[in-house]
This record gives sequence, C-alpha cells and structure tokens, in this order.
Amino acid sequence: MLINSVVLVLREVLEAALLLSVMLALSLNLRCSMRWLALCLPLAVLGIGLFAVFLDSITDALEGTGQELLTAGLQLAAFAACLLVICLGERVRAGARQSPLLALGFSIAVICAMVREGAEIYLYVTAFAASPDQRTAVYVGAVIGAGIGVSLGVLAYGGLRAMSARAAYVLCLCLVAVIGAGLVVQSSQLLEQIDWIAPGEPLWNTSAWLSEESVPGQLLYAVVGYEASPAPLQAWLWLGSALAVPAAWWLGRAPWRQRRAPA
Amino acid sequence: MKLPFCLLPSLLLGVLAAAASAGPPVYELEIHNHLFLPDEIRIPAATKIKLVVYNRDPTPEEFESYELNREKVIMGGRKATLFIGPLQPGIYPFFGEFNPRTAQGRVVVE
Repeated sequence: MLINSVVLVLREVLEAALLLSVMLALSLNLRCSMRWLALCLPLAVLGIGLFAVFLDSITDALEGTGQELLTAGLQLAAFAACLLVICLGERVRAGARQSPLLALGFSIAVICAMVREGAEIYLYVTAFAASPDQRTAVYVGAVIGAGIGVSLGVLAYGGLRAMSARAAYVLCLCLVAVIGAGLVVQSSQLLEQIDWIAPGEPLWNTSAWLSEESVPGQLLYAVVGYEASPAPLQAWLWLGSALAVPAAWWLGRAPWRQRRAPA
Repeated sequence: MKLPFCLLPSLLLGVLAAAASAGPPVYELEIHNHLFLPDEIRIPAATKIKLVVYNRDPTPEEFESYELNREKVIMGGRKATLFIGPLQPGIYPFFGEFNPRTAQGRVVVE
C-alpha cells in the first residue's frame, strides 16, 4: 500500500511540479513579476476542491463523457497557455513591453495542470480516510510521494536558475515542448476513451524495452506522455505539438515586423 | 395522401431505435470490495465495445489500463462508461489504481 501510494502521488505531483518549475523559471528569465503565482495557488486549490466534490455530476454530464472532456480540456488549455507564454515571452525578449497576457498565460498553465493532478490525489487520499488499517500507509505514502515530486520540481527549478539565462531559456522551451506534447497525447487518449476519435493500429511496440507499467515508464508517461504502442494519430500529435513550441517562439520573434522596424 | 405524413414520426422513431441498437456491444463490470466482478471479459477481435463499470463500493476507484490506454475515476456507488477497441487478439490487463493489489482484471480479445 505504501509503495502504491508513493508512486501514485509522485506521478501526479511530478507532472504538475515540473510544469510549475518551468513556468517559474521562464517567468524569472523574462523578468515578469511573480505576482501571478500568489493568485494561482488559491485558485488552483479552489479548482481542485470543486473538481473533486462535483466529480459525480461531471462524470455523468454530456452522456457520461464529462470527466474526459473536462480533463482533456484542462490539459489542452494548459498547453495552449504554454504556447501563449512562449510567443509573448519572445516578444518581451525582443524588447516589447510586458503584457498582462503573459501573467495570464503562466496562471492558466499552472492552474490547469494543478487542478487535473491535484483532484486525483485529493480523491485518492480521502478515499482511505475511513479505513484505519490502510489510512496511515496511504497518508505516509502520499507525503513521501509528494515530497519526492516537489523536491524534483525544486531541483529542476534550481537547475534552470543555476545555468546561464540563455541556456535556461532554451532548456525551458525544450521542456515545454516535451511536457506539452505529453499533455496533448494524454488528451487524445481521453477522447478515444469516449469514442470521439478512433484509435488506429499501433505503429510500434517498445513495451519489451520499456514497459509502461515499470516505474521509469510511468514517470516518463507522466512527464512526456510515453506510450509503448502509439497509434499513428498519437505519434503525429506528439510531433506536431512539440513543433508547435518553436512555431510559437518564431511567431513571437515576428521577423516580418523586425524587417520593417528600421524605417 | 395524408397517411405517409402520419407514418413519418413512427418511421423516424424506428430508424432512431435501429441506430441506437446498432451501437457497439455493451459489456458490464462491477467493483465490489475492491475486486472486479467478473475479473475477465471476453470480447471479439476488431470490434469496438462499450464498457460500463459499476462501482458498488462506497469509495472511489480509478479504472486504469496501460495496455488499453484507459483511465477513469468512478466515484463510490456510481458508474462510468468507456469505449474499448477495436483490438487485436491478446490479453489486456486492467486494474483499480486506488487498490491495485486486489482490483485486477483483464480483457481477453479473441
């Protein structure tokens, strides 16, 4: 029970913690005021509470597809917010004024990621509140899992802050690309689950090499959306989403605007 | 020639009912005392199915399968619907993520 809860909570916390670390590092890198964080945390806690309390009704909504649609919506919104941040961030780096939209982008990305992961932890931990024999193991496991997850997030943040601003910026963009691609692939699987999109035949199967059930496989799934036997749609979505990050960066640079600037 | 118009609504109903019944076959599972009942469902290959999971426990459970790429939280005393397949023949395990030691099952595609 202890190990189960450590892995479950670690997996959920890690997804949100890593994205939070990258967003924080990016925000500091762009010299954006960190006030957005103070607004984010209470809103995320409120969102987690609402999601967990109303999950009954959410699940039954829209002919039983509510849970998948809301979760996929949160993940896609987080990714869209990341793209907005990268596009606006690059404009700031090019000398544009700080836009309030930038702080909004950071907030949406962090709130969506935290609500999605936090609600599952909340449900899991409260499910065992009534069973005294398992309660302690679950609580201790959850604290250890959350501790490791948060520590890894802090470590990632520390690492990003320790390197040169330029290197940290490039690494942040790469991390957003792989985390974002993972979010999009996870959303596509949820839409498959409610029969909104059709699954295809798997392109390959790497489960003998790295099983999705193994701890590294689970952590890799949590962070980059690792899928041992992806359908063509998932593979293309992963690639397309990862490439959307450099596209957003390029859009922020707006080379056509710079060309006109000297006039 | 008013008759065809009178028949139209019933004809439409008939078409709708046929469309509804032509949906994917439905399979049902129950979660009871953190166990899946039955713990094995057999489904035909290359066929999409609709799986309805009833959680008879008072506590929430998460239906999860790495092989099927499925995950869905089912609150205590509620049900959840999800689609599976079309799949190639094989064994696809699933488990309850909140009680993985006891809640184990598999979809056998044949």
